[in-house]
Amino acid sequence: MGAIASLEAEIQRVGMALSDAFPSHRANPLKALDDRAMELAAQDAELRAALFRFVDVVPACRSVDDLAAHLTSFLEQVHTRPPSLRAAMRMGDTKAGRAALGAAGAAGVRHMAHRFIVGESPRAALPTLRKLWRDGIAASVDLLGEATVTAAEADRYAGRCAEALDTLAGAYAQMSEQPLLEHDASGALPRANLSVKVSALTPLLRPAAPARGQRDAAPRLRGLLRQARDLGAHLHIDMESLDSREAVLELVLDLLAEPQFADGPSAGVVLQAYLRDSPQTLDTILEWAGRTPRAQPIVVRLVKGAYWDHEVVEARQHGWNVPVFERKADCDANFEALTARLLEARPLVRVAIASHNLRSVAHAVARNRLLGGAPGDVEFQVLRGLGDDLGRALAASGLRVRAYCPVGDLVAGMAYLVRRLLENTANESFLADQAHGVPLEQLLEPPQVAP
Amino acid sequence: MTALPPFRNEPVLELRRATERAKLAAGLGELRLPLSVPVWVGDERRFGEELVSTDPGRPERVVAVAGRATPEEAGAAVAAARAAFPAWAATPVQERAAALLRAAAWMRERRAALAALAVRECAKPWPEADADVCEAIDFLEFYARGAIGLQHERAAERALLQVPGERNELRYAPRGVCAVIAPWNFPLAIPTGMTAAALATGNTVALKPAEQAPGCGLRVVEALRAGGVPAGAIALLPGEGDAGAALARDRAVATIAFTGSGPVGLELLRTAADVQPGMRQLKRVVAEMGGKNCIVVDSDADLDEAIPAIVDSAFHYAGQKCSAAARVLVHEALHDALVGRLAGAVAGLQVGPADDFATDVPPVIEREAQERVRRYAALAADGGTIVTGTGDVPADGWYVAPVVATGLPLDSPVLHEEVFGPLLTVEAVRDVDEAMDRIDALPVALTGGLFSRNPRTVAHVVDRSPVGNLYINRSTTGAMVGRQPFGGNRLSGTGTKAGGDDYLLHFVEPRVVTENTVRHGLVV
Repeated sequence: MGAIASLEAEIQRVGMALSDAFPSHRANPLKALDDRAMELAAQDAELRAALFRFVDVVPACRSVDDLAAHLTSFLEQVHTRPPSLRAAMRMGDTKAGRAALGAAGAAGVRHMAHRFIVGESPRAALPTLRKLWRDGIAASVDLLGEATVTAAEADRYAGRCAEALDTLAGAYAQMSEQPLLEHDASGALPRANLSVKVSALTPLLRPAAPARGQRDAAPRLRGLLRQARDLGAHLHIDMESLDSREAVLELVLDLLAEPQFADGPSAGVVLQAYLRDSPQTLDTILEWAGRTPRAQPIVVRLVKGAYWDHEVVEARQHGWNVPVFERKADCDANFEALTARLLEARPLVRVAIASHNLRSVAHAVARNRLLGGAPGDVEFQVLRGLGDDLGRALAASGLRVRAYCPVGDLVAGMAYLVRRLLENTANESFLADQAHGVPLEQLLEPPQVAP
Repeated sequence: MTALPPFRNEPVLELRRATERAKLAAGLGELRLPLSVPVWVGDERRFGEELVSTDPGRPERVVAVAGRATPEEAGAAVAAARAAFPAWAATPVQERAAALLRAAAWMRERRAALAALAVRECAKPWPEADADVCEAIDFLEFYARGAIGLQHERAAERALLQVPGERNELRYAPRGVCAVIAPWNFPLAIPTGMTAAALATGNTVALKPAEQAPGCGLRVVEALRAGGVPAGAIALLPGEGDAGAALARDRAVATIAFTGSGPVGLELLRTAADVQPGMRQLKRVVAEMGGKNCIVVDSDADLDEAIPAIVDSAFHYAGQKCSAAARVLVHEALHDALVGRLAGAVAGLQVGPADDFATDVPPVIEREAQERVRRYAALAADGGTIVTGTGDVPADGWYVAPVVATGLPLDSPVLHEEVFGPLLTVEAVRDVDEAMDRIDALPVALTGGLFSRNPRTVAHVVDRSPVGNLYINRSTTGAMVGRQPFGGNRLSGTGTKAGGDDYLLHFVEPRVVTENTVRHGLVV
């Protein structure tokens, strides 16, 4: 009991301190405006749907007229329209109005996209990445792009990843030292860090035939691992929906076990806490790590998971058991349980806690302290554009932070953008709670698991 | 009898999990071939070796050895069904429904074995074979409930106008003997569905499964008999066209339920229209025939979603579904991008045996089908451009490389005739209306697809589309019982909707009873 009580007390202390460290919004009126717009969208499901559908279709529109036609068409389906939208609808009636409306809509989407996407290419992203690094925040770059449906597209994505690794390794080598970001108890940490998606490395991921996608993706992923090893960069393999989990996890663990990768690169996988069977997935990872000696421990990025709606819809449509927790508190409790197991499994693994939930983050900080870890022995990851404030608060508190930074053109980035927006405006989002003034004590309460 | 729980679709296996895949593989391991399939009329079983079904991926592997029903045996089956009809029709609908539900349970207990049989006999890849078993179960469960509803729950919905002194009632009675003539492409689901609809409503059935799939037909009849359908009420006639024709012509057949090719369906309709001397009932035909299914892709479509959906629609089960996509009509602004990506995606498809989970395109059903697809591919090459489809395929079965062709002249037969194989054409259109004009010019109207993100375009296409099943921003196959009642319009079918609420009405005859309740000026 004593241990639990002291953990809880520590979580409260850490949470309060982190909250105090959040930057003030008054300093950035433009961002406050963005937040207002998102809040407006969050309040009305129809309006939110209309705006998301618009964001989604912008890249496919051929002209401002086309943009305006789509925008007004979506808005027709919103039953209660604020005055600004009624004005927009009237603009759609004339050609000049449509031109203005279409241009404004596209500009609005681009403006929002810039908040989440750090650059159209890795090179264009470098100023932002340098600034983050100066501010004590590392990055993991994620290359956005259209879905991979052909072998040529898989090759192209692998080529973009290779180029990104070169660019990042070259640029980060020039940056000044940031001791907190460069070492932990297991040794040196690479500066350059790229996140890749297996679904982009092969068009052949088939839920019922994981071996097929693995075979096809393996040469491309192997090439990137070699390159990361030679450059001293970190390669992180993202996790997507449950349809591809088996294929992705097996592939990554198999490749990393190859003798050529025993000395590097530093590499990582993702554990999704919203999956009910994520504890078993962690068993698999830890068992693998125990029997696979590598110079640099595998990094496990713990996330809640970004495909909740997809998983629920797919399961319901097929009559399957829903594979994700349907109560937020159950997911949060699992997140904490997995955090504890991961932290205790060190140095077999390195741990990255990727959450914008203040309670989950405070819990990881507190538990790391109680386990005797140094602040740099656990990494915290935030999403660029969404977790910026939290990232700064964590960095200001002397913690090791990495921002997940999408890179790519706005057209290709749209799907990503929409998903981020959805997450941000979801009812149970911590950020939304925070924005609506839920008291801090309540935000820091332990998750109440169903009996 | 207590009320049944509401219908829900039998869940397909979650094949993304290795444990579930292992169940199916075990089912295949336990399959003992060849099956012996009798001509099975009443309690009489005549075994024979005249009809043989083989594995389309390995034609030397015999799956089932069957008697080939003669026209005389067809006649005997109808006579037996005729004799069993009064008792089955008089059986309370709850009891008939219970027999179907027990048949569903019988299938549920044997899901892996039944799927494995469909894999072997019809080269259905695992996910589709599993879905076929589920759909068969769905039909049994759905029509069992539907028949009870027709007699009880839904009676109030059709309450007639009542005035003082008379009592009016509309009720439905079974029609009599139903000849079910089934296809091989859903070798369990479709024969089960047509048969279950007839039986649930009190008709008796003579079932002729496709000559390519007698083994699956046997399992359907075994399930029904195990469930308690009387021997006389369901006969099995493995056989060919002559048996089917004899069934359809038989004067005692009241209803013909058919799913298959257009020419056969039209012939059945002609047969049915010919009222022979001594016939005491007009034959009714429930026919599901072919299509030439089109997917329209507007300029605002999301190709990331459209390409995989088009590939699924056109090439899953080698395009051998009546719902499969045959033509893509794409806005000219997206044409080149779509063709390039589609060609790349199709080039990556794996052609292989149905029992390999990695197979995308299994063999087609038989040599004749292989030759037909190749003939159309040659026509497409002559008239247009083959953008993909020249890859090597395994030599030992009825394999065909999936083909994508473009640039065909509008009068090319490839754009009008049903190929029923892995061949997809792409044509550029100025706008959605040009696409809809071309679709409207077709004599068939089964399924259709649209990819657009503009709600106004969607509404416009919904208004203009003549097809029986239109799918927006998804694949055009995989209709689910109770969710997407399935069937075509125009020459694609009789407009009936399998798996829908009104399907059973085609298997019954309406009877209105009006009783005078006035006696000597008093209402009694």
